[in-house]
Amino acid sequence: MLRGKNIIITGTNRGIGKAALTAAAKNGANIWAHARQETAEQKELISALASEHGVEIWPIWLEVTDKEGMKEAVKEIRGGKRPVDALINNAGITYNALFQMSSEENLREQFEVNFFAVYLFTQLISKLMARGGGGSIVSIASSAGIDGNPGKTVYGASKAAVITMSKSISRELGPAGVRANCIAPGITETDMLSSMPKEVVDGQRAAVDLRRAGDPAEIADAAIFLASDYSSFITGQVLRVDGGMR
Amino acid sequence: MSNLEKYIEAFKTTFELGDESALPALKYQDIEAWDSVGHMALIAELEDAFDIMMDTDDIIDFSSFEIGKEIMAKYDVAL
Repeated sequence: MLRGKNIIITGTNRGIGKAALTAAAKNGANIWAHARQETAEQKELISALASEHGVEIWPIWLEVTDKEGMKEAVKEIRGGKRPVDALINNAGITYNALFQMSSEENLREQFEVNFFAVYLFTQLISKLMARGGGGSIVSIASSAGIDGNPGKTVYGASKAAVITMSKSISRELGPAGVRANCIAPGITETDMLSSMPKEVVDGQRAAVDLRRAGDPAEIADAAIFLASDYSSFITGQVLRVDGGMR
Repeated sequence: MSNLEKYIEAFKTTFELGDESALPALKYQDIEAWDSVGHMALIAELEDAFDIMMDTDDIIDFSSFEIGKEIMAKYDVAL
């Protein structure tokens, strides 16, 4: 689905990002794989995927809030003289706290990582895409960014901001051939889920038509579809990948 | 190719201009090609040509061919 394409994925060390990295390699993409920290485990994964699927994977070690580091990374990507066909904005953080219990510090931190960093990185990468004749930007949002969710006020608000950003980008950059879409996962078997209270998770599972949490690979497959030319006439959309949440 | 020639070439390539005589007076949105999307493509072209990354404020302020020259100087690009 992505044979010969060059894509960037952020937050590839675990969860949905790791699944997206695996799926992208499996689908034949060359990948700039971002992660916060260089680890032996991540390096092994990258090496194994590259070798197994015959693709190139270039690691980017970076705190997404490091703006200068981000610029340097983009300079390096640009210097590679390969078109950037797709960007999957996945890196994100969450804290579970009720509205009245959310500290300003956590509020700012979540917006820094989940929105400002995504905004600034997308700003830099979309220039390369526009110059190259187009591309696809896929941002991992959340059903909490559409529906709201107890304990997810700040996280949901930051993801709602990403959704609005994506829709606006679609309108602004569509004429340059740049598509922008979001995926809104529901409950998904990630570290974020295990950080939530069990009774909350059980309640959420019961409210899903399929009566289970999603697998990160199921979210990743949707992201690969939106990154690929198979979705060439889809832009400005939010695709719910939530097993039917009510 | 001199820096000035590279600078001119970036405008000509981005906006598909055959003639450079109008460039010194050219301002943002003077021609159809220099719209917001064209602006982004021009900045990307310049960044690539001179291996720089421009700050957002400079991208916003880059409102004409001549003002662009002053902004390029901030990145040690002498024109």
